[in-house]
Amino acid sequence: MVVKASKVSIITGAASGLGRAAATRLAKRGDRVGLCDLNDSGLAETCSIIRGNGGEAISAIVDVRDGAAIKKWCGEVVNQLGKIDYLFSNAGVTSRGAVSDMEFDEWRRLIDTHVTGSFNVCQAALAHMVELGSGAIVVTSSDYAVIGMRYASNYAAAKTALYALTKALAVEFAPHGIRVNAVGPGPIDTPLLRSRGTQAEWQDRVRDYEARLPMQRLGQPEDVASVVDFLLSDRASYITGQLLQPNGGQVMW
Amino acid sequence: MDEGSSEHKGRVAVITGGSGGIGNAIADRLQLEGASVTVMDLMPRAGGAKLESSSSPISFCQVDVAQEREVETAFKSVAAREGEIDYLICCAAIFHATPFLQLSGDEWKRTLEINLNGAFLCCREAIRYMRPRRFGRIILFSSMLARTGGKNSAHYSASKGGVLGLARSLALEVAGENIRVNTISPGVTDTPQPRDHLSEEELYGRGASIPLGRIGKVEDMVEGCLFLLGEESSYFTGQDLRINGGASLW
Repeated sequence: MVVKASKVSIITGAASGLGRAAATRLAKRGDRVGLCDLNDSGLAETCSIIRGNGGEAISAIVDVRDGAAIKKWCGEVVNQLGKIDYLFSNAGVTSRGAVSDMEFDEWRRLIDTHVTGSFNVCQAALAHMVELGSGAIVVTSSDYAVIGMRYASNYAAAKTALYALTKALAVEFAPHGIRVNAVGPGPIDTPLLRSRGTQAEWQDRVRDYEARLPMQRLGQPEDVASVVDFLLSDRASYITGQLLQPNGGQVMW
Repeated sequence: MDEGSSEHKGRVAVITGGSGGIGNAIADRLQLEGASVTVMDLMPRAGGAKLESSSSPISFCQVDVAQEREVETAFKSVAAREGEIDYLICCAAIFHATPFLQLSGDEWKRTLEINLNGAFLCCREAIRYMRPRRFGRIILFSSMLARTGGKNSAHYSASKGGVLGLARSLALEVAGENIRVNTISPGVTDTPQPRDHLSEEELYGRGASIPLGRIGKVEDMVEGCLFLLGEESSYFTGQDLRINGGASLW
């Protein structure tokens, strides 16, 4: 069986959007995957898609903000699947509102979920990767880490912090043979993006994206999953601390 | 990943500077993947190994990429022979380390002519053939030095910075036509080029100050190039892939 030699990848925020697309793609290439999210039904659906494709997935309901729970989850993955080779730290939430009207709790919800959440899962996974002597991480940042964002200062701050965290981890863990990179997607058709407006507005928003984006189309989750696939492989063995931006040309720098 | 044939099979690729370290390796790899490859360079390929598994050998076209007429003629002949041009990979570049005050006007100009004007001329010709077919993938090699600068490399850094500006502007112009333009910025890489001004010890010694602990390998750049040519980078244009072992994080 090839299975024993296969890689183990863990993915947070795997119930929908980028997390589901990446989990599905990594499982298709032969990785055994450990998934977590807070959305029970979405997570179950991701697992059933993967198993339907003949892949191997285990899942757990875990809140990335809970460091102890995350540590326990990573331990369980190692118990069941043997190791952790790759991490896609992707769990995130969105928000909308002007700075002047923003409640502190709403500010903190974004920072906690993205920044502290990613710190928690990176810290827990890295302990296992260091033991293994290899590994790679991809963190979901955003184009907004580079260009800022109107009416989502908390989201932009969180995503920029994640890019900084990525670079710090890259230099700290390079001596262990572990690479850490970020993806900075542009607008991608995910439940998170759709939730930033009403369903009635969606078609207008899509047309707006098509008119505004150089590539004249809204991104699909697979446009990002393929980048995660590349970065979480030996093909990217000399790439670390970088932000890769599947963004349809929205930002170039 | 792909169980069947490579997505590069049957693609027509032009590689400038294909006789040098990185370009040479990209040419070999694309040929192995089943692409139809033409190398444009001043000198024929040194290693020019004819791979047994491939049906067609790599074509060679002697071109000075800084000469407008030569570039036009070369692309015309490739298009006439192959019927199309799908990929353009610009690796042609020169770099002789020179302290700033010793930089002659001629060396400055020659560096910009090959590294920057050459990329412009090749992009312009390639786009002529890509545009009607609404398909094209262009990869221009820039350098980590475009961002970081470097001692004794004002001319080279300026030329490679120019490549980034060229790539982004071109990317915006052709993004709606299914032509994607991206760049790769390697850090110091194990090729003949840095040996012009570094001893073997100095070259490999550079690895000690790089987070991943080694200088770049040609294969690292080949993998990045294939990523940017293929469907994996379907939503990338105007982007700079920085393959440098963490030597520069921006």
